[in-house]
Amino acid sequence: MELWVGAVVLGLLYALMTTGVYLTYRVYNFADITVDGSFTAGGAAAAALIVAGCHPALALLAALAVGAASGAATALIHTRFKINGLLSGILVMTGLYSVNLHLMGRSNIPLLQHPTLFSALDALNPGLPGAVWTALALGLALAVFWLLMAAFLKTDLGLAMRATGENPRMASANGRNVNWLIILGLALANGLVGVSGGLVAQYQGFADVTMGVGTIVVGLASVIIGESALRARSLTVQVLSVVLGSVIFRLMIALALYLGLNPIDLKLLTAVFVLLTLVLSQRMGKGRAGLPGLTRLLRPAWAWGLAAAILAGLGWWAAQPPGPQSGGQAASPVRPLIGVVQFTDNGVLDLTRQGLVQELRKLGHVDGQTCRLDLENAHGDQATLNLILDKFLKDGADLVVTISTPATQAGLKKITDRPLVFATVANPFLIQAGTSETEHRPNVTGTYGWAPMDQTLALVRRILPGPLKIGAIWDPSQANAEFNVANLRQAMAGQGDLSFHGATVAGTGEVQQATQSLLNQGVDVLVLPPDNIIYSAFDAVVSVARAGNRPVVVSDVELLSHGALAVLGYDYTSSGEQAARLVDRILRGENPRDIPFERYSRLSVGLNTKVAADLKLTLPPEVLAQATVLHPPTETAARTRPAPSPPPATAPAPAKRRLAVFLFADTPIILDALRGVQEELEQSGALRELGLEVSVRSAQGEMSLGQAIAQDLVRQRFDYIVSLSTIALQLAARFNHDIPQVFGAVTDPYLTGVAKSPDEHQPNITGVATFQPVEAVLRTAREIFPQAKRIGLAWNPGELSSEACTKKARELAPRYGFSLVEANVTSPAEVLEGVRGLLAKDIDLFFTSGDSTMLSAFDSVAKLLHQARVPYLSNSCTDVARGAFLAVGPDYYNVGRRTGALAIRLMRGESPQAVPIVDYVPETLFVNRDLAAEYKVSLPPAVVKRAANLGGGQ
Amino acid sequence: MIELTGFDKRFNPGSVNEVHALRGLDLSVAEGEFVTIIGTNGSGKSTLLNAVAGEFAPDLGRVSIAGRDVTQAQEHQRADLVARVFQNPFLGTVPGMSIAENLHLASLRGRPLRPRLGLDRARRQEFRARVQSLEMGLEDRLDNAIGSLSGGQRQALTLLMAVMNTPRVLLLDEHTAALDPKSAAQVLKLTSQFVAERGLTTLMVTHSMRQALELGNRTIMMHQGRVIEDIDQARKRRLTVEDLLDRFAELRRAEQLTDDLLEELRRAYV
Ligand SMILES: Nc1ncnc2c1ncn2[C@@H]1O[C@H](COP(=O)(O)OP(=O)(O)OP(=O)(O)O)[C@@H](O)[C@H]1O
Ligand SMILES: [Mg+2]
Repeated sequence: MELWVGAVVLGLLYALMTTGVYLTYRVYNFADITVDGSFTAGGAAAAALIVAGCHPALALLAALAVGAASGAATALIHTRFKINGLLSGILVMTGLYSVNLHLMGRSNIPLLQHPTLFSALDALNPGLPGAVWTALALGLALAVFWLLMAAFLKTDLGLAMRATGENPRMASANGRNVNWLIILGLALANGLVGVSGGLVAQYQGFADVTMGVGTIVVGLASVIIGESALRARSLTVQVLSVVLGSVIFRLMIALALYLGLNPIDLKLLTAVFVLLTLVLSQRMGKGRAGLPGLTRLLRPAWAWGLAAAILAGLGWWAAQPPGPQSGGQAASPVRPLIGVVQFTDNGVLDLTRQGLVQELRKLGHVDGQTCRLDLENAHGDQATLNLILDKFLKDGADLVVTISTPATQAGLKKITDRPLVFATVANPFLIQAGTSETEHRPNVTGTYGWAPMDQTLALVRRILPGPLKIGAIWDPSQANAEFNVANLRQAMAGQGDLSFHGATVAGTGEVQQATQSLLNQGVDVLVLPPDNIIYSAFDAVVSVARAGNRPVVVSDVELLSHGALAVLGYDYTSSGEQAARLVDRILRGENPRDIPFERYSRLSVGLNTKVAADLKLTLPPEVLAQATVLHPPTETAARTRPAPSPPPATAPAPAKRRLAVFLFADTPIILDALRGVQEELEQSGALRELGLEVSVRSAQGEMSLGQAIAQDLVRQRFDYIVSLSTIALQLAARFNHDIPQVFGAVTDPYLTGVAKSPDEHQPNITGVATFQPVEAVLRTAREIFPQAKRIGLAWNPGELSSEACTKKARELAPRYGFSLVEANVTSPAEVLEGVRGLLAKDIDLFFTSGDSTMLSAFDSVAKLLHQARVPYLSNSCTDVARGAFLAVGPDYYNVGRRTGALAIRLMRGESPQAVPIVDYVPETLFVNRDLAAEYKVSLPPAVVKRAANLGGGQ
Repeated sequence: MIELTGFDKRFNPGSVNEVHALRGLDLSVAEGEFVTIIGTNGSGKSTLLNAVAGEFAPDLGRVSIAGRDVTQAQEHQRADLVARVFQNPFLGTVPGMSIAENLHLASLRGRPLRPRLGLDRARRQEFRARVQSLEMGLEDRLDNAIGSLSGGQRQALTLLMAVMNTPRVLLLDEHTAALDPKSAAQVLKLTSQFVAERGLTTLMVTHSMRQALELGNRTIMMHQGRVIEDIDQARKRRLTVEDLLDRFAELRRAEQLTDDLLEELRRAYV
């Protein structure tokens, strides 16, 4: 009962939103995505005002106002600036995210302690079950709204609005100001959406900045479902169908839950259902004129039958493993039912659940024997969370366990007449579960704890002594994250040698950039307090941090193996275990009122020795002793890969051997190298002697293609792989763990992680390392320009090989009497600015070494330098023909030959593991004589003699 | 009643698609005049009507209607003066709304909008009588969506809607061109009837020379964005369809000549 009535209530609450979507989508023919933002805006405004002491009804008016303002903004952008409606909506929706955060002042406002329309409603309850009463009252209100709305659309104003949507030219010819009517219509529609948001916030007991995500889809689905259920010509029935559609949509979700369907499939199901309805009604629409009335009546029935069949099928399929309580009649009433709900799938919550279930079992509460456990997961969806709780109530759960803050927040609202035990909630006081550990809601107890940032900081200081710039990243829309960051800053307070550098993100997509920005600010270490968003994009953090050689410290043990240097956090298994003990006490008859909240106690300290070694950090013994988890598990596990299968036998096998040459792009350099490989194979006679079959694969410079090729080479079981270019090496090494592979045209294999030193490399991979001859450039520059002092160097810190060259230049420049002036560029767009910056610093020479970001703007850079008469030095010989002054670069043809020779050694039977990586830099010098003449530089005879080519710029 | 002075309009100025649609056009139409407009394709007839209706403001020149300078007034701001019927029967009505609702919307032309239920019983009674005058049997279908009607029926309703509030100016742009001959004749008959009854100042574009000569009391011929012939009532009576056709042929020849001339010049010089 609770489940169905709860669904009806939700449907009615969302019906206002659905009507708004109907207005824009059907009446105005305008796919208005603003609703995602205006829904939240309504919730945010209502919650903020209620907390400020405003009457909840008045707060709803404010929700109407902000919603209407959002809609008007979209319409204004659309009509004034003639910007596509969808795009206008996206712009306003995006902007609203910030506005909503400002409105709320934080990401989540709980309303539990405040009067809402629903608490007022409850006070009027004549004695019906709560949910039924709410549903009745809402149903009545919605009925009034329905009639009002239908009437409104028939007023003069309503007529003009409908005409504007359907035939704006006619409306305009009949004296209606179409732009104004669009603004009005969108304002009205979004106003309704805002009210809906305000109501939902009051109903669920809190507003959250993410509560509007996906609103448009739900709205559209509801409109379409309603239309197919009530096929209506009359406007009055149309509006009713919209309200009904919203309720049916929620009932469908409830049904799916009831059938034990995995909520993860709900979205897919919604999409399929809406598509089906659309297609069916289209098909039917065509034959409409000729169809007799009966078929028309049957039409929706058919669609519904099909949908029900699919739903039932999916339900049956999903229900296979655990089996729903459909046969629950037989279940003995003595066995208590425990409903457990977690908000989303994440490591911490899963650990908590596992700890809970295991400990319950130890305490004698075994699912199916002494108790019934109903484990549910809302997969991050607020509405689903509410439905799951309704289901627990419907099933008559004796006790509910909520895992995570959002689940608990929803639980506090719904579960009032039976015990609620929460687990893994950072701060239960923030969500008003109680005011202290002992003074709390009578039916609620649980385990909590916020990340011990002070202890984390202490650990960081022990590993990295001395002054530190500490960087932190968080998503301000995550309430917990804000709180944890505040704790970190508090822990740092008073330590003068620490400085805090923060970067905020809105969503996982921005994490990488934020990390990079912190690295650019020169932070020494990243300390990341718990934040779901950041932790789920942790790999992005690590990839950037590793490129910049910076350690990362987090609070989640799970992340240790993902490349964190150290973790210090609670062991969430223990949170679950502690919660289980609370559950046990309640089941044995204790009153939750008398059970204080418990802070979880067990800490985990984890260290990643491999990361430490990569960062050249020595972990102090006392820190190592403190660790509860080490990664990799044993100290000697530097090499994690199993030994390769033995290399092919020397005995000439009759079968042909197949070699794949894998190139990343068809650049001149790589093609030179390819030619070298091919000629080496040919001229050494290996081709014939080994019966070798060579295939050349190029990824055409496309990363995704490269990945596909690399995977394909492994799948096809080539006998040998030669990879040319750094990226080709990285891609191949990622998938190839046993085929002997030789790389070439790679600047620094040690930065790719394939090798640590010439002898220590991935066992199946060896090759030729060709550092850019940075030193030769500096040496030659000194010969040609005896007076020059300052060399400008521009490079992208995001490029591995560029970093290697820069390091080398830093080390060697002083030796040749140069001082190095550096500029960082991170994208092609920044290149010219970077070079101008260098020129402003009076550089005598400019040098860039194979940095592909720099190369992307070669011509403009060369032109700029030419204007300033600053010679351009490079490591790529082809640059001279395009306007560089001097280049000393590797001769990639010879690199290719050397690579080929190495490959032949493997084919003759040597194990790649035993073949060390070769450092090979065949230098060639190119000088631009025309530029020399123009700049009036005389070339020393020694240089002229060494030069392989004295080219001229065009 | 309508006063256009030096009206000049270019579409897509400065681009390769630039069209000089109206070239300093002067036109003065007296109250109660019924002007038929003919001209070659693309000569600017529709553009002239759009200019009067206010779909765009002129690049140069002025427009006034009924003594009011409406040069900068937008379409909806002069809808109290101007009513129109488009060539496309789908453009004049809202298909999803009922006949009564469409008529009601038209009856609101020139009046401010209010959120009140204006379409009451009295109104419907009035509309019923008006629709009856069309003699199409639509009076019993006032609540049917317009989308279910034929093109001829729609166009007749659009005409009815246009004259409902007795506009100062009625614009008809080939409003029978998309109809079958029978419906066209009927709509044309209604047109003459409405215009005569109310003495409406009317501009009517047509491709039928016969219509142009038979209807109205003045005919203008347009070419390349200008009025090149202005034929008054007296002359109209004397002219035949053949005369008009000759005039067109002459124009075409003149155009061809210039084309040939250009070609010759090109050959001579390039
Ligand atoms: N909105 C517009 N944008 C661009 N060009 C336009 C526009 N309206 C009209 N034109 C151009 O202006 C010129 C005159 O068009 P108009 O529609 O007035 O001709 P017409 O005399 O009504 O021709 P027809 O007899 O074919 O209806 C044409 O070249 C047309 O392409
Ligand atoms: Mg025309």
